[in-house]
Amino acid sequence: MSGAANPVKPLEMTGNEDPDKLAEFEQRIADGVLIEPGDWMPQAYRMGMLGMAEHHANSEIIGALPEGEWITRAPSMRRKLALTAKVQDEVGHGQMLYRVSQELGKSRDDMLRDLVMGKTKYHNCFNYPAPTWGDIAMIQWLIDGAAIMNQKTLADGAYGPYVRTMNRINMEEAFHFKSGEDMVLTLMSGTRAQKQMTQDAFDRWWPVSLMFFGPADKPDAEQRPAMRWRMKVERNDSLRQRFINRFAPAAMDLGLVINIVTKDEQGLVTSTKPDEGLVLDETTGNWSFTEPDWDEFWRVIRGNGPCNAHRLSLRRFSYEQGGWVRRAIGAGSTSMPPAA
Amino acid sequence: MDAMLADPLAVLVLAHADDKLLLGHVQSDWTGLGPLLEEDIAASAMSQDDLSHALILYEFLGKRFDLDPDVIAFERAPEDYACCDLVTFPDEFDWATSLVKRWLVAVFTGLGLERLGTLDDADLSARCDRIMPEQRLQVAHLGNWIRRLGSAGGESTARMQAAVDRVAEVTGTLFEVPGHRLEEDETYCCGRDDLFTEWNGIVQATLAEAGLTGTFTLPERSTVGGRRGTHAGHFTEQLTEMTEVRRVSPGASW
Repeated sequence: MSGAANPVKPLEMTGNEDPDKLAEFEQRIADGVLIEPGDWMPQAYRMGMLGMAEHHANSEIIGALPEGEWITRAPSMRRKLALTAKVQDEVGHGQMLYRVSQELGKSRDDMLRDLVMGKTKYHNCFNYPAPTWGDIAMIQWLIDGAAIMNQKTLADGAYGPYVRTMNRINMEEAFHFKSGEDMVLTLMSGTRAQKQMTQDAFDRWWPVSLMFFGPADKPDAEQRPAMRWRMKVERNDSLRQRFINRFAPAAMDLGLVINIVTKDEQGLVTSTKPDEGLVLDETTGNWSFTEPDWDEFWRVIRGNGPCNAHRLSLRRFSYEQGGWVRRAIGAGSTSMPPAA
Repeated sequence: MDAMLADPLAVLVLAHADDKLLLGHVQSDWTGLGPLLEEDIAASAMSQDDLSHALILYEFLGKRFDLDPDVIAFERAPEDYACCDLVTFPDEFDWATSLVKRWLVAVFTGLGLERLGTLDDADLSARCDRIMPEQRLQVAHLGNWIRRLGSAGGESTARMQAAVDRVAEVTGTLFEVPGHRLEEDETYCCGRDDLFTEWNGIVQATLAEAGLTGTFTLPERSTVGGRRGTHAGHFTEQLTEMTEVRRVSPGASW
């Protein structure tokens, strides 16, 4: 999973950096040299990379929750094992990304505390419900598919530890995607009830997938630090288009209908109608589509999504119930965070 | 299925397989919620071990009785499951209880599978040989945590002792004789008294190193509990949850 495509605080130079060092830093990035933790870097870059890696780490461990809840209901031994391993991978990705963040100057315990206290965020897509087994298939197919697309570009970034971590994560995400694809294919080849379950789940997750990459970047994004310093290397809209070009025809081939949906406060679909804006431009090879509901996106990111409170309370519960173990082995968390 | 449930050796294998399945199943509730990321990952690896070991044993039974391993795992009546009440004992999201429970079961399973592997069945022996290295790793890993948290003092020791006390009452269920369709003298109990003595010796030594105490008793041979299909109430809830998706379309491929 990826957390890096959501909007992050805009990075701006403070103006206090040594201009010679800054020029050398930017030249190294332009030359394709990876920046390492011990290298000189602008403070804005350090804080930006920390925020990005921390957000990504948070997303991994929060992202483990909706799928983790379905391990006990997985319908075969093979699926149960695969899902357990998959969720374990996500926690492992979180661990690796917290290590990257720790090297940038913030302790793991501070990051976990900030997460459960709501001071830091995680990816918006995990604030949506997963009420059926079909949702688990969609998370692995669509959300992990989107994550791979995004993270492949992040692996072309400039910060060495993050780039290397992306390469390791992407290998595992490829397995998750294959597993999801196999689940969707199995369900869509199955009984009427299985197909309906899959379509319903697709209706819930398709718009979330479109929002996955975040809203459009500013027109001058390439000139702004985040792209100039190769913290991200591709525009959100470009990634979104690539995702639709890949997944819209694949979904239709499987017999899924791409709908425009309305949802209730619980994130459940209340009405659907086929997306008539979904048309292939033969010249460009691009599929046009109806924009997702960006008002909903902002509502959810501000904490008012269907599952924000539930996900965060579960993480907080985990943090609190495990405090005694961490204290016993001297691994931080000497006190409980104040009530949120 | 009936032939399998009436076969003494199959029922003994089933008892270990069902222990593994239900232990892995119940423990997976913790996935993503462990006290440390590193231990969350380790616990998940052990859950995967348990589920894989269950599958290895279900495959043995499936081959012998011409049954789909998934059907054995998911489609029996509650009374035909031979897991004991300790593996399904709810830990109420208390890490100490989870740890103590898994450790007690791991020691038992290690000894039980060692014995199972000595029976005159090459396929079963080979399967036990595949399982044992991971089983030994589980015993070592969990034992280290028992020692570390038990000897840490203060809150940690108190929580660990409370957990031992909490599960002590149901720990004897590990040693119940399995098979509700078998006459008592038909059961394959693999030297139950010796098994208990060896298990208790290992457990008491580790508890002593951890500064903890626990008293466990071998139940009467005639005791009827989970292993003979009379499960605690929480087992039914766990089984219902485990089969929820599968029941959406019975017989379908998933």
